[in-house]
Formats: sequence, structure tokens, C-alpha cells
Amino acid sequence: MSRTAALSSFIESTPPGELADVTKAIKSILDDSSVASELAPAFEKYNESQFTTTKLPGGSGEVLVSEYNRLGDGRYYDVESQSSFEFDHASGKASGVQSYVLDSGLGDLVKSLVKSLGTHASEHYPKSSLGVYPIEDDSQLAIVTVASKYSPSNFWNGRWRSSYIFNPSSGSLTGSIKVDVHYYEDGNVRLLTNKDVSLSVGANAGATEIVRQIANAEKKYQEDLNKAFGSLSEGAFKSLRRQLPITRQKIEWEKVASYRLGQDIGGGRGR
Amino acid sequence: MADPIDSALDLLRRLNPKDVKRNVDSLISLNPDLTEDLLESVDIPLSVKKCSKTKRDFLCCDYNRDGDSWRSPWSNEFEPPVDEGEGVTPSDRIRKMEVKANEAFDVYRELYFEGGISSVYLWDMDDGFAGCVLLKKSVSPSPKSSGSWDSIHVFDAQDRARTAHYKLTSTVILSLGTDSEALGGLDLSGNMVRQIEQDLVVDDDSSHVANIGKMVEDMELKMRNLLQEVYFGKAKDVVGDLRSMDLRKKRGRRFSLTEFLGIPPLSQTNRDRATQREMISSMGR
Repeated sequence: MSRTAALSSFIESTPPGELADVTKAIKSILDDSSVASELAPAFEKYNESQFTTTKLPGGSGEVLVSEYNRLGDGRYYDVESQSSFEFDHASGKASGVQSYVLDSGLGDLVKSLVKSLGTHASEHYPKSSLGVYPIEDDSQLAIVTVASKYSPSNFWNGRWRSSYIFNPSSGSLTGSIKVDVHYYEDGNVRLLTNKDVSLSVGANAGATEIVRQIANAEKKYQEDLNKAFGSLSEGAFKSLRRQLPITRQKIEWEKVASYRLGQDIGGGRGR
Repeated sequence: MADPIDSALDLLRRLNPKDVKRNVDSLISLNPDLTEDLLESVDIPLSVKKCSKTKRDFLCCDYNRDGDSWRSPWSNEFEPPVDEGEGVTPSDRIRKMEVKANEAFDVYRELYFEGGISSVYLWDMDDGFAGCVLLKKSVSPSPKSSGSWDSIHVFDAQDRARTAHYKLTSTVILSLGTDSEALGGLDLSGNMVRQIEQDLVVDDDSSHVANIGKMVEDMELKMRNLLQEVYFGKAKDVVGDLRSMDLRKKRGRRFSLTEFLGIPPLSQTNRDRATQREMISSMGR
């Protein structure tokens, strides 16, 4: 693997909220603080695929960057605040805010989706950012939600991402939900999930119906995920290592030489 | 700038633990000076070899390696063979203990893992001996789910009058995954490390095997509980913090693994300070 490919793969698997730490470590390992320009394409790809959020100078909430609201030349736009901004992919900082009025035949639907989605998000995501963007020559809409929570002092960070493409003429709503959790106190544990979603909401469906279906899919997914934790714990985890031997007693190590396989050990498993 | 090896270890603690082997290889090619330190201090999932003499599987790590050969605990011979006079093997006394320890941990493996592979390697030290106990098991309870457990227990034993001082560092690498139409893909993988020191009575060499056995058994019980909490409690809690199932309401639960398990993490002090800071700043709000 080439140097740039190796470094890019590091950036790609960076956990939520830890890009600055990963970049700092890379600079130290290479003893090269000018590596940032080499990493620029990897940073851009990472931020766009993770829906990295940033605070606009003078703005209140956080806006996100994605491939869907990219204007080119390092600029992105936000529908709700009707502004565009320059985004520095290495530092995560926004600057150069300008007014940006969306010019789209789907403009009314975008506005009502932003509103409905905002209500849904505020009900279920303690801290989230969202965006609705016309794509494919104004023929479809990208609907994006990201919720991150960072607690580095307790050694964990997490992110929930969902993105859907709504096609008004066919009424299809397809996309995916991804969860990324990192826990790293004296260890490194990572949860990575990916659930594809494919729904039919009907041609020319309104914002309320689209968001209702999204809300249902996300609720169902969280229920399924919670069940999966239970079945992994009861299934694969239990079958890897018992908590105690079948005799429910710890080993008598002084007598371990006298344990005979299949008899003393296993406590008469053959019965 | 920080020491490159500290930065490399910090990086590995952040990147996807599932890729640890590939990431170690990349780091070595990016900075070859780190090769030895990385191979010594980073635990990667254990690989398996077959002992050609006994036809039994054994586990490979840096401690039974000589170049591209690994010593079998069952035959004391290297696979593939090394040149005459090459390859470090333990002294007669330590090898006798190693044979006993392998027998004992074979029983342990069967009792706790009901399958899998175990290997114990010992080596001579100036003031005693050191060694590692390795255990590995993989399962696929259904075609759509799988799991693997690798334990790597590295210890040294310093001889004192009628006792020995043991220092044990244990790593468990646990990987779980499912993939189904309904749930989509889920991967829950990682590793956790814990350390303990103990003084225990020693009558003869068989006491060493029993002492190490008890220490490893206690440690694995604690680590299994810890993994259970982190993988199925903590991870689920974080998902619940990101998205609340019911309409949002105040959430009060605070989580302390350390108090729950009575096994202090290496970073306890840092964490205490961080928790204090967080409490102080939350009171100020």
C-alpha cells in the first residue's frame, strides 16, 4: 500500500469526533507536520461521508457538509439559514458566510421537509443537524440527519447518521442508517452498523408522510439494534467463553493434574 | 511533538480495532523505526499453526517466534524447523514447568471454552521466569452471526523467599458480527487490557503453575464481565444517548464500570480527574 493510501485508510476509519487526534498522531509518527496537504482529499471524503457539522460564524446551530450540498471550491450551503459557507476540511472550521437562496422547482417541498424533519429530530435526537437538498438536476431530494455525541473525558464518542434519496416521480425513498460508537478506556471497542432502507411513500408524497415513514424506519431500526445486542450477548458471546465451568466452581489448580478430560471436567457432561 | 511510538499506540487505540493487523503493517512501512516496539506492544489476533510431530494446533505470538518460525508448546520444536543451533528454547527446569502449564491450561480451556486452542510459553529470566498464556476460540452460532475470542496473558514471576511476585498484563480481543436482511450489517469488535500484580506463596515449581492459573482465571472472569458491560451495556447506552426511543426526556443514568467490577483501569486517575472536571462544570451551568 502506498504511503498516501495507508494514511487515507487511517483517516477513513477515524471514529466520530477524533479527526484532530488522528491527524496529530499521523504528524508525529511521520515527523512531518506538513502532511495535511497530502491528506486533503481524505479529509474531504471523510467529512462529506460522515456529515461533519460545523458552527457558522454568528450562527446558532450547527450545519453539516455532505456531497449533496457541495457547491464546489470548498463551499457548501445550508437551506434553513439560507447561507453558503467555506469549509476548511482539515480544521473543521467554516468561514466566508454568504446569503444563499435555493433555486429549485422542489423548493416548497424542501422547506416543508426541513420543518417536519426538524420537529422529528428534536423529538428523538438530543443534538442533531439536518439538511434537505435537491440533487440530480432538481429531480430528487437528499434528506440527511446526523446526531453526534462526544464524551472524550469518559473515553467514548458516537454518531448516528441517516440519509435518504426521495424520488418525487416514483415515490421511492431509499437510503441507509449508520451507527458508529467508539469506546476506548484501556482498550478500543468499536460498533459499526449499516442498515439499508428502501421504502415506497407514494409519488408526490408530502413532507409529513415522508418524515413519518423515516421516523418509523429509524424507530424500527433502533428496536432491532437493541434486540441484536441481546442476541449477540446470549448467542455468540456466551458460546465463546463460559462465565464459570459447568460445575459452577472455579478450578482447583492444585489438583488440576488429576482432572481427567470428559469425567471430572465438564461435571458429567455426558449424562 | 510526542514520541512517535506513543503516537502510534494512540492511533491504534482510535482506528477500527478490526483492522489492527493491517494498521500495524502500515505503520511499520511508514516508520520502520517503530517495528520492534509495535510488534512487542500491540496485540493482534492470534494465528494458528499445526505441530507436525503431535498433529495438534498451537497458537503463535511474538514470544514463540524466531524469524518466520514458531515453537510448538507440544513438541518444543519450531514450525517450520530452524537451522541446527538456532531458535531459543527454555532451560530444562522452565520447559518442565511449561509442559505442566500447557496440560493445566488445556483443562482450563476445555472447562471454560469447551473448544478452541490454548498454548503456554515460558522463558528464563535472571531473577525468575516469564511467560504467556494464549487462548483462542471462534464460533458461528448461525450462518449470519460469528464471533471470536483471543486472550493474551503476559506475565513475569520474580522469585523471593518462599513467595513470588507476579505481574500479569491481560488483553482480550473480542470480535462479534451479524449480517442479515432485517438488521443489516453489525460489527462489534475490540480489545481491552488490564494489569494486576500479586505476591503468592511458592513451595515448588508446581505452585507457580497453580498461582498463574488462579491469576489468569480471576482476570478472565473480571474481563469477561467487563466486556459484557462494555459491548452490550455501554455500546447500547451510547446509541440510546444519540437517539432516544421515546420522546426526549431527561436522562439521569451515569455509568461506572470501575465501581461495578472492582477492577481499576490503568487510566483511573485521569478519569477521576475528568469526571471531577465534568461535575464541576455541570454544576456551574
